[in-house]
Amino acid sequence: MIVGPCIALAALGLAGGIVGGRRWPRVWLALTLMAATGGLGAALVLLAGGADWVWRSALPVGGEVIHLRLDGVSAVFLALMSVVGGAGAVYSREYWSDREQRRSAGRGRRWWSGLMASMGWVLLSANGLHFLLGWEAFTVCAFFLVTLDGRMKAVRRAGWLYLAASHAGTVCLFAFFALLAHSVGSWELGPMREHVELAPLFWLVLAGFGVKAGLFPLHVWLPSAHANAPSHVSAILSGVAIKMGVYGLVRFSGWLPVPAAAGWVVIVAGMVSAVLGIAFALAQDDLKRLLAYCSVENIGVILIGLGAAMLGAAHGGNGLQWGRLALAGALLHVWNHGAFKALLFFSAGSVLHATGTREMSRLGGLWRAMPWTAGAFALGSVAVAALPPLNGFVSEWLIYLGLFDAVTTQGPAAAVAVPAAIVLGVAGALALATFIKAGTIVFMGAARTRRPAHAHECGVLMRGAMCGLAAICLGLGLAPQLLRPILLRATAAWHPAWGGVDPGAPLVPLGTASLAVAMALAVGVVLVFAHVRRNGLNRSVTWDCGYATPGARMQYTSGSFGDLAARWFRWILRPERRLRRPRGPLPDGAVLVDRHPETMLDRVLRPASTGVLHVSTAVRRLQHGRLQSYIVYLVAGIAVLALMVLLGGSQ
Amino acid sequence: MTPYLEVPLRLVVLLGLAPLLPGIINKVKAWVGGRRGPPVLQLYYDLARLWRKGVVMSTLASPGFIAGPAVAWVAVVAAIVLLPLGPAEAPFAFRGDVLLMIYLLALARFGTTWAAMETGSAFEGMGVAREVSYAVIAEAAIIAAVLSLSVQTGSVSLSAMLAPAPGAGAVLLAAGLFTVLLAENCRVPFDDPNTHLELTMIHEVMALDHSGPPLAVILHGAAVKLLLFSLLLVEAVLPLGGVSAPVALAIIAAGVFVVTIGVGLVESLLARFAFRSVPLLLTTAFLMCLFALLMAWKGGAA
Repeated sequence: MIVGPCIALAALGLAGGIVGGRRWPRVWLALTLMAATGGLGAALVLLAGGADWVWRSALPVGGEVIHLRLDGVSAVFLALMSVVGGAGAVYSREYWSDREQRRSAGRGRRWWSGLMASMGWVLLSANGLHFLLGWEAFTVCAFFLVTLDGRMKAVRRAGWLYLAASHAGTVCLFAFFALLAHSVGSWELGPMREHVELAPLFWLVLAGFGVKAGLFPLHVWLPSAHANAPSHVSAILSGVAIKMGVYGLVRFSGWLPVPAAAGWVVIVAGMVSAVLGIAFALAQDDLKRLLAYCSVENIGVILIGLGAAMLGAAHGGNGLQWGRLALAGALLHVWNHGAFKALLFFSAGSVLHATGTREMSRLGGLWRAMPWTAGAFALGSVAVAALPPLNGFVSEWLIYLGLFDAVTTQGPAAAVAVPAAIVLGVAGALALATFIKAGTIVFMGAARTRRPAHAHECGVLMRGAMCGLAAICLGLGLAPQLLRPILLRATAAWHPAWGGVDPGAPLVPLGTASLAVAMALAVGVVLVFAHVRRNGLNRSVTWDCGYATPGARMQYTSGSFGDLAARWFRWILRPERRLRRPRGPLPDGAVLVDRHPETMLDRVLRPASTGVLHVSTAVRRLQHGRLQSYIVYLVAGIAVLALMVLLGGSQ
Repeated sequence: MTPYLEVPLRLVVLLGLAPLLPGIINKVKAWVGGRRGPPVLQLYYDLARLWRKGVVMSTLASPGFIAGPAVAWVAVVAAIVLLPLGPAEAPFAFRGDVLLMIYLLALARFGTTWAAMETGSAFEGMGVAREVSYAVIAEAAIIAAVLSLSVQTGSVSLSAMLAPAPGAGAVLLAAGLFTVLLAENCRVPFDDPNTHLELTMIHEVMALDHSGPPLAVILHGAAVKLLLFSLLLVEAVLPLGGVSAPVALAIIAAGVFVVTIGVGLVESLLARFAFRSVPLLLTTAFLMCLFALLMAWKGGAA
């Protein structure tokens, strides 16, 4: 049994990192990589066919004995956490180094180890109380990582919003675990599908974990937190932390009975998140906000798969097959999104590091100064747009297959599978538009301001972290057949009845096709390059229809690029536009400001909370510290009580 | 026939014939307009000439400017290999290949649009923004069309989906797919392939800065894409499952010819739409595909 020692190794590494991370950065890096290797090893050994790992200790924590458990579902998430945690640690050694961030670098390393440890704890814990403890620790660690650079007001605000939103979700989870423990009589977690009366608790699960996952419209905290955090933190938040919400949803939809409507609600919520998330992303000008909204879309894609799986499980019959396909796609998308989104955030961080701005309309033409970063971003863009032969396509393909099979059976689930498949296509096309915009506006064309002129390529460590993730994106896309046993194992752990069902996903021919396409692409590109070189290549100014001196300001900007499609979503995007046209024969200037605020936060949540605040301020006037009035309250209260006794006392 | 022999054979035939289609369209347009028009083989001459020429590249562009068209061309060619030709199944047929085909076309779009954006030209930015935005609705229409075929046949593989007799929604499906064909290949009324220097176009404007072999690759890729969509339309609408291979091939060839003439006629008789109404027309195409899906559904249930 190798799983146990691997996990012990990981725990040791993380504990060492927490203790010694502040002083000894190199030791910390070695320990974190050791922990990542241990976690990944444990997860992969288990997914490759090892037995479930269960460990009980007599040692009570908070009155409950420790009960750890690693099965197919949690191993998927543990593997992701280890990979992104390790890559982010390498990246942060250069990105958030002691030299540049003297005040916060050491602190950041400690919280990083703490974040990895608490997320690992949540994944392994099989006790409700311990789950909650880990969950809270994880939220707090993430808060301190988001606010590492707390000198800026925007960062502090983002941190507080994150903390408040997370705790709103945690309240639901407190209620959920308490009610669960109350009706079962124990804090122990495990499969309990036979307790039919627990089904309504699923709505608490959806609300509580939905906030963490960034499900639309519970995503209000996500864009600002992911945009303002240091980029390695954004990467682990987007790549892993929001997946903990997905983990909760997958875990408890598998272990507990769910209401009949649950699958429908989840798949519809997924569809809404997918389309609106990417629509918001397309409208953004802030590179990291764009990536953050894109995470909302990908969570939507994952939930479409999970919802289809829940419908399939409820449907029975061949629903077992297509449900299993959709769940396999959803779980694989958890990995894929973690890999390519971390890659994209790393490249965005590299741009931010080099130019000091996240605003795309100030950037441009960076590929010459930063070819590695540009290449990494381009590769990540292909992956996030779900294009073959990279990994994003494989998981969306599995979800599509599940949805198509659900449609062809023409059962009740088909009515929702049709719009879900169309939504998946629309979201994919919008993602392509979004990332063509982001990639080319930032890295191609001419520099729009002076900032990119001083840009420099990132160093070896940041480049190494990016290359590692890029290799994962490529590997998962080219060899999907290797994933088959892993996905079978993970989906069988979700639903015990699925063990013997063959989902019928031809990953082997897909792998062959991907490989063939990749090789053809390489050959085609090399051939065209060779031929161009033979014919001769001249450089000249961009041919702007004969315009002699094309300038950088004539280029399309991120606003003008996204405007066409973003206009279809005006009803929800609510752009704020300030326009002052040039006036008179000698105009002295003009202004055009286009801003896409977070609609749910500014138009829904803020007015609502302001209303609550008004009411509480009004109520507070009752409590002012004047003794005379308090005596009046008392007398009035006694009088009312007396009246009640007089009127109702006769019974 | 082994796939090792069949794939090159198919490629030679399909890639060789693809440049005929724009030639036929231009001939039809000339004929309707009362002109003699360029020769049908004009695109072959153009391609041969471009392939021999040198390249002038913008000082701003990266190597991706040349790699993009190459990627797009390979992706379109890979997509057309996945199509069956009547009873002759595709050499790589598997469950879910139709989705691979759709996403390979998206990869081609990624390649061309990325390359176009490299030059920093406002014209190319305009064209790319339009291309990727309209593709959103076209994608929805294609998925709906594919779903309707899938419901009709109970399969997710192109070879099985395109074989049987069309259901009740064939007319709707044909109309929807034909509109998508016009949009995806940037023909009138969505785009005007003749206007090179207007602010009104999509595809041509993206190729403004390309020259030499990369431009040849772009033009040939566009022709192959037109052939792919014509084949898809013909095979989706005509029942080819029961007939023998030579007859089926003849029917397909005739069908593609008819579609091409249809494109030419549309181009001669219609004006390009204002850009405002392009999404409307595409949404109509999407709705037609959706109704075809509903009819296939009803037909299957009865």
